Amino acid sequence: MEGNGNGYKMRVNNLNMYYGDFMALDDISLDFASCCITALIGPSGCGKSTLVRCLNRMNDLIDGSRVEGEITLDDENVLGTGYDVISLRRRVGMVFQRPNPFPKSIYDNVAYGPRLVGKVEKEKLDFIVEDSLKRAALWDEVKKILDRSGQSLSGGQQQRLCIARVIAVQPEVILFDEPCSAIDPISTQKIEDLMAELKKNFTMVIVTHNMQQAARVSDYTAFMLVEEQGQPGRIVEFGDTNTMFTNPSDSRTENYITGRFG
Amino acid sequence: MDARKTDRIATVGFWAIGIVALGILAFIVIEIFIRGFMTAINPSFFAGKPEALKEGGGIGPMIVSTLYLTFLTMLIALPVSIGAAIYMSEFAHEGRFTRFIRFCLDSLGTVPSIVFALFGMTLFLFYLDWRTCLLAGAITMALLNLPVLLRSAEEALRLVPQTYREASMSLGASRWTTVKKVVLPTAWPGIITGTILPLGRIMGESAVVIFTVGVFVRSIPISPFDPAAPLAGYIWYVQSEAIVPDYRSIVNGGAAVLLILLFAINFGTRWLSKYYSKRKSLGG
Repeated sequence: MEGNGNGYKMRVNNLNMYYGDFMALDDISLDFASCCITALIGPSGCGKSTLVRCLNRMNDLIDGSRVEGEITLDDENVLGTGYDVISLRRRVGMVFQRPNPFPKSIYDNVAYGPRLVGKVEKEKLDFIVEDSLKRAALWDEVKKILDRSGQSLSGGQQQRLCIARVIAVQPEVILFDEPCSAIDPISTQKIEDLMAELKKNFTMVIVTHNMQQAARVSDYTAFMLVEEQGQPGRIVEFGDTNTMFTNPSDSRTENYITGRFG
Repeated sequence: MDARKTDRIATVGFWAIGIVALGILAFIVIEIFIRGFMTAINPSFFAGKPEALKEGGGIGPMIVSTLYLTFLTMLIALPVSIGAAIYMSEFAHEGRFTRFIRFCLDSLGTVPSIVFALFGMTLFLFYLDWRTCLLAGAITMALLNLPVLLRSAEEALRLVPQTYREASMSLGASRWTTVKKVVLPTAWPGIITGTILPLGRIMGESAVVIFTVGVFVRSIPISPFDPAAPLAGYIWYVQSEAIVPDYRSIVNGGAAVLLILLFAINFGTRWLSKYYSKRKSLGG
């Protein structure tokens, strides 16, 4: 299903990112393989979330943020002037740290994205909602209560609702910004299983605090670090997850994943 | 003195202060109703036409004037204040300009109504050469209430969690679509609640009414360009001129009617706000 031949859905080349005068990311280069899960790990404040928010340009919403470098989606630079941010965000969806369903019904939450492009026939919309909820492994739990508020669900269910809401837009990439940090272990398990399932169709990036989670779900891992307070985040090591966790090449990576700091 | 004793004394103290405040309010309401309630509920009074010289006049056109003026004012002030509030909270970059606007609004909010009344009179009656009418009053009244309406609408918009906006935009919605489909529906109950104070202020305002709308009419106003006589101004007129023999009873009855109208609008607004916040699926 991928359009380009090199096997990389998204690539980040020499990316610098600033909040005003403060440099948050320094010379980041990373490739995200198609239909794989890439994990970003590192201690708090190392810029993992900032990086992931560059990929769908959510940082544009922050006054004074600025980027240099290149991010490509199917070999097209998404940072270029005149690039349609709205179409970018429809192709690169995002699941946030805290489940954030709208104060609308479960149905309307999932239908929100499809409705943005214009009027959709009822039957078609019904199908999209059902299909998305099924793929988010939530359908059986909510099929009888679709008109209930999305916010009446449990935290784990809400997060799966948010995943369904993203799937309904039919993106190509899904970004997960610490999706399990606010929910319980059983729900976390469900979301990890779900991600493994979604890998068939989507390229995914997950930011996580939890190294076990990165080891469990991801194919590739990037370890990020801020050397000293006030310095920008940099990538220390990037590679195959198995190699990284069994035989890291950088001593700082080893110290982090063995729990010596962070 | 031990902590528990202090706590008890404080509790009793605050309770007493609360009771005093409530007592004063109850006293005013009961006093007004004792004097005017029987007159107020008499159909020939609340639906009847006023008399210029004789006794036995009603206040029908005045009730209509009050509601008409309130409606017209809101029709002008609400879209402007909500629009400006959306700009301030959703689109403007926080900076000198927004701080300047807020400063102006806060200053404008403290200007006495008589100053607005004089401004309205100068603009509409002298400069544009209108006669006193509902529209002149409504525009003046809208200006008077704009600061409070705008600030409360802005407050309601700001209370909408940032995560809703992020979620919406990450799904590919523009800022405006996000406002329309998520932010406004969520803020709506708060915006409605914010109109309660201005609504009361409009219905009770006399200075603007006296200078721009009128204090006496015999027929019910139809067009916005008709002169009218909202209750607050009429009460002032009847009391100060004291031409009709039964002016005391008209003033008391009018005050009671005004109070009933205020209660009705207040409860109605609260109900509407609750209705919106209770609806589980907003918009669509």
